[in-house]
Amino acid sequence: MSQVSSMNTDSHLRIEGLTKVYGSTAAVSDVNLEVRQGELLVLLGPSGCGKTTTLRLVAGFVAATSGRILVEGKDFAALPPYQREMGMVFQSYALFPHLTVAQNVTFGLRMRKLPKAEIDRRLEETLAMVKLTPMADRYPRQLSGGQQQRVALARALAIRPKVLLLDEPLSNLDANLRQSVAREIRQLQKAAGLTALMVTHDQDEAMTMADRLVLMSDGKVQQVGTQEELYEQPLNPFVARFIGHSNLVEGELVEADTFRLPGGTVLKLAGRYAGRGPHTLALRPERLRLLGANEAAPPLATARVEDATYVGDHIDYLLTLEDGSSLALHEPTGAAGTARRAVGETVGIAWDGANERLFDAAKTTVPALAAA
Amino acid sequence: MRHHASAGHAGGVIAMRGLIRFLIFVGVALMLIPLLMTAYMSLFADGVVTYPPSGYTLSWYTRLAEFPKFAQSLGTSLRVAAMATLCSLLIGVPASIALVRYSFPGRGALNVLLLSPLTVPGVVIGLGLYVLMVDVEIRTELPLTGSDWVLVLAHLLITTPWVVRLCVANLVQLDRSIEEAAANLGASPIRVLFSVTLPMMRQGIVAAALFAFIVSFENIEMTLFLISPGMITFPISVLQYLEYRFDPLVASVVVVQTAVIAALLLAIDRYVKLSKVV
Repeated sequence: MSQVSSMNTDSHLRIEGLTKVYGSTAAVSDVNLEVRQGELLVLLGPSGCGKTTTLRLVAGFVAATSGRILVEGKDFAALPPYQREMGMVFQSYALFPHLTVAQNVTFGLRMRKLPKAEIDRRLEETLAMVKLTPMADRYPRQLSGGQQQRVALARALAIRPKVLLLDEPLSNLDANLRQSVAREIRQLQKAAGLTALMVTHDQDEAMTMADRLVLMSDGKVQQVGTQEELYEQPLNPFVARFIGHSNLVEGELVEADTFRLPGGTVLKLAGRYAGRGPHTLALRPERLRLLGANEAAPPLATARVEDATYVGDHIDYLLTLEDGSSLALHEPTGAAGTARRAVGETVGIAWDGANERLFDAAKTTVPALAAA
Repeated sequence: MRHHASAGHAGGVIAMRGLIRFLIFVGVALMLIPLLMTAYMSLFADGVVTYPPSGYTLSWYTRLAEFPKFAQSLGTSLRVAAMATLCSLLIGVPASIALVRYSFPGRGALNVLLLSPLTVPGVVIGLGLYVLMVDVEIRTELPLTGSDWVLVLAHLLITTPWVVRLCVANLVQLDRSIEEAAANLGASPIRVLFSVTLPMMRQGIVAAALFAFIVSFENIEMTLFLISPGMITFPISVLQYLEYRFDPLVASVVVVQTAVIAALLLAIDRYVKLSKVV
């Protein structure tokens, strides 16, 4: 993919052509990634997209079919997990139930046969970091979920790993704990300057924690980029749909600015395009505007209100176009309050050229022509 | 109306609780009555067990010393059961780890093979082993009859399936990622085994040991073929005694034996809470 050519020389963890085939299906196929020193890269995608397998390949629990995993330029792909020096935080925490918090945290240090004084020093330091010093002699079963999570993190940090791996670290926590734990993990990772790779299926989690994101589907990387890049410039309809739930409208580009749906309904486009034939139009619900009754601008489309839900910061509209295809639209509520449109009302919709994205039959993005 | 309905509901809950208590009582009674009856019988004064007894006495317990065969056979049984337990753990624990944690050709076959002795009647195994033992003895002239090891090897056939079954059940419910975490932290496979897998299996191993011990200790039908005049096991000594006499002495023997086993269990319980295991 195009990421290979744009790889930075300062990458700390580098994955090249990583592939894992089970039987005849590729769980991970030709994944190329780079994580910079101190960066938190988040692998995001629906279940079965290959993100967890990628993480397990990096950790060494799964042997790669082909590809290289480079840390500081050295290929780790053939090493067993216990020689990889990567600290992993498991989704289930995977604490040793028969060991105390202190014994859990020092496990990796004892495996490395560090001198006792050094082990004690690091234990003290790490427990202080995750604020668990008073719990040192407890067993995992005597701790709350949040505390167990911090032990898991401390255990991974204590070995001063080359790379920190996080497998859905927040998914087992209560919703109200997630944000604070996410912030804590982020703080610790930044403070230690650790290069980190995290897996999640939760878009919000990914957005809040990541330096950059990798969106995966069907074992392949769909797009790598910052939050803004994935949101504003999705490379294909899958990305547009997964990040921020774009409306995807299938149809045909019949003129430079005219898009015809299979049912015959015609939409006007905000921009002009050179291509013709089948295309997919992606429109973000929150970037669509409902036109007022006395608005001068002509609507790009008209639709019927099927449902309108007031959810506080916006009104959640479900609209149907003339041919019956549905469209979600979020109208922000203002200080003066915005009146909900009645169900059954016919409304005009418009959007800006910057907020419409068109993909051709090969699912690649089609740029708009320069304004004439 | 509503009031009535809720009263009826509360009544249902109480009735349900009563039923559960009753069933628990029946269960406990079923388990304890034979034991209590045995203890009760051991105090009967009559030489032949009759009911109601003409009087009560502790003299059967004092007369136990006249029958050294009981103590001897109890010793044999405990020794054989202990060795059979130990050996079946040495075979069964690694086997169950291999069965659950690794995939290899013949895994299914090994699983069936390890559990198969449970499906064959003990008498059949006993007879087969007896024929085999005699045959081997004739060919090699080894003094097999009367050796503890014949019994231990035979008992392995019936104790190992239990060990495998219990350890496999224990292992499949252990979170695999705990072992991965150990590897991730730098533990080689052998260290993962000794510092994580085996300690986590402790309860399963103790349960397996208990079952193996009991299965070996109480076995009659298979053992019957393999004993020799000098060496019999405890259940068989009781059986042999009952062939000639039916007096309360045998009940007192059983009470003493139960006390010995109970003492062993209490000792184990100090190290592993047995209520959590079985």
